[in-house]
Amino acid sequence: MEKWYPGMGELTFGRALLYILLMLGIISGVVRLFFGLGATTNLSDAYPWGLWISFDVLAGVALAGGGFTMSAAIYIFNLKKFEPLLRPAKISAFLGYLMFIVGLFFDLGQPWRIWHPMVMWNPHSVLFEVAWCVMLYTTVLGIDIFIMALERWQKDTWVRFFRDIYLVLVVAGVILSTLHQSSLGALYLLLPEKMSDLWASRAIGPLFFTSAVIGGMSVITLESLISSWAYKRKAELDILSSLGKGLAVALLIYFAMKVTDLYARGATVWIMDKAHFFFYLELFGTVALPAILLSFPEVRKNEKGLLTCAGLAAFGVVLNRFNVSLTSYGGYRQFSYFPSMVEIIITVSLLAGGILLFDFLTKNLPVYKSELT
Amino acid sequence: MSKAILIDTTRCIGCRACQVACKSWNVLKGETATFSESWSNPRFLSSNQFNRIIFREMTHPDGQISWHFISRRCMHCNDPACVSACPVAALEKLPNGPVVYDDGRCIGCRYCMMACPFQIPKFQWESAVPLVRKCTFCADRQAIGLEPSCVTTCPTQTLLFGERAELVKEAHHRLGAHPGRYWPEVYGEKIAGGTSKLYLTAVSFEELGLTHRGFRTDLGDVPQGIYGRQWMSKVPFVALAVGGLAVGLHYFNKRRAEVEAGEHKEE
Repeated sequence: MEKWYPGMGELTFGRALLYILLMLGIISGVVRLFFGLGATTNLSDAYPWGLWISFDVLAGVALAGGGFTMSAAIYIFNLKKFEPLLRPAKISAFLGYLMFIVGLFFDLGQPWRIWHPMVMWNPHSVLFEVAWCVMLYTTVLGIDIFIMALERWQKDTWVRFFRDIYLVLVVAGVILSTLHQSSLGALYLLLPEKMSDLWASRAIGPLFFTSAVIGGMSVITLESLISSWAYKRKAELDILSSLGKGLAVALLIYFAMKVTDLYARGATVWIMDKAHFFFYLELFGTVALPAILLSFPEVRKNEKGLLTCAGLAAFGVVLNRFNVSLTSYGGYRQFSYFPSMVEIIITVSLLAGGILLFDFLTKNLPVYKSELT
Repeated sequence: MSKAILIDTTRCIGCRACQVACKSWNVLKGETATFSESWSNPRFLSSNQFNRIIFREMTHPDGQISWHFISRRCMHCNDPACVSACPVAALEKLPNGPVVYDDGRCIGCRYCMMACPFQIPKFQWESAVPLVRKCTFCADRQAIGLEPSCVTTCPTQTLLFGERAELVKEAHHRLGAHPGRYWPEVYGEKIAGGTSKLYLTAVSFEELGLTHRGFRTDLGDVPQGIYGRQWMSKVPFVALAVGGLAVGLHYFNKRRAEVEAGEHKEE
């Protein structure tokens, strides 16, 4: 395995752009830390949570759900055919959580106090549970990456040790993920009066969990297709086609849960306004549509078909997080919110950094090797 | 015993001495006044403004105009959503009533701002080391036996400080004694689980048009924080259930695969 960094030898336009975005992000980050949130963001007392919570935190964690989903599929449901997807899934998940943590770091008013929840506890707070579970789960993912590094450095005794206790990591990962993926939705249990009827529900926790499973599976599909195109490898179509079936089932379950919830609460569904437009887009355009498309084997066995459906589903998860946190949020008085340049730059640069890091890790670690844990 | 303030808005003359007294006691900087279509000054609560008087001018069908002066400040709920929400327990409900904020614990996550149904906690956006700010119920003054500075200053006894139970009784006494003068509800007695600020108004908050300006009437009697606590109480069971299920299914599926492999070998 060669030592390699993105752009070594040949700097493509794409990689150069990613590096530029990363640089802009670092500069913006420094400005944000020195000048404060008021000067650099469009957040306000009326909109205390904005793009960084909606995208970096909520969508980031949901899309990083592939780690525990694949882990569960392979080690708990014994679906060994998905093994080649496990390591890329772990890398994507780890990067997703890193993106969440760095994004959160810039969103917090006092980021240097990010360690406070470790020693200052409020066991009644849903956010406290999210903080702890994310912290522990990122550690589990970090251990997964560490195992790959140990393999590269050929520390065989250590590798064997981790393989022996691997079930512990899998079970811990599944428990922690279940808890925090649903709890990110449960945060909004405290403010139903400020939210639109379409998303304010006591079932918001389980709904977030299910869409995290969807987010995980769709991102794994996208990542697999895009990286085979980028690295000029053959796409593993029959595994992805089975995964596509699983994704269709998850989407259908989510659709059923959402419809049941809306009927049970007697929500007004069939009127047209801004919130309803985004609701229809989310439920029909990004949940029902890919579910229906994926039920056709021709779509599932076709790269473009999988790309489209997984793309719709992943976009749907992001849209859902934005809908719950921004579209639905009643705000206060006449105020409105749109992210500032600094907010957008930092978010985009986190994505750029994530892509570069993905590039780096998949080239320097045994991610696509045939022999796995 | 928990203290409270009875705010009889029909007595208020809109002098804003309470705004000045609060700023004075809490050493908050002044702001340049700006003109607007309202006499309310300032227009919003902020990290520098813990209370303010809302001026509401209402026209009656017979052409009469009436003024309503409503004081807005933290309600110091009996079961505060902000206290439930804060991940580092920076907010605390004291036994004598005030909901106080610990500068040393806060990480600036602003979940308290999202959770408060009365839209009270405000943030020091302009600072690089920002904190959350709101009315403290003059917890420091209460600790040395004084009344909150707004109460001490009020020239018309709009603000009455005392034991919550007694003030609730007094509020209902006033409603009974002068039924034409008041809207028949003590806002804060039951809403969101009950608060330490009890309001008597001449007309309802809906008629005043203040339901979207900090005086929601659609909250019910349940404190919002309870939903978060209910969720958290289930966490250990969910963890155990998921863990047990995961381990169980792992061994079950492993055994099933072994049996199948064994059967294939025999064939």
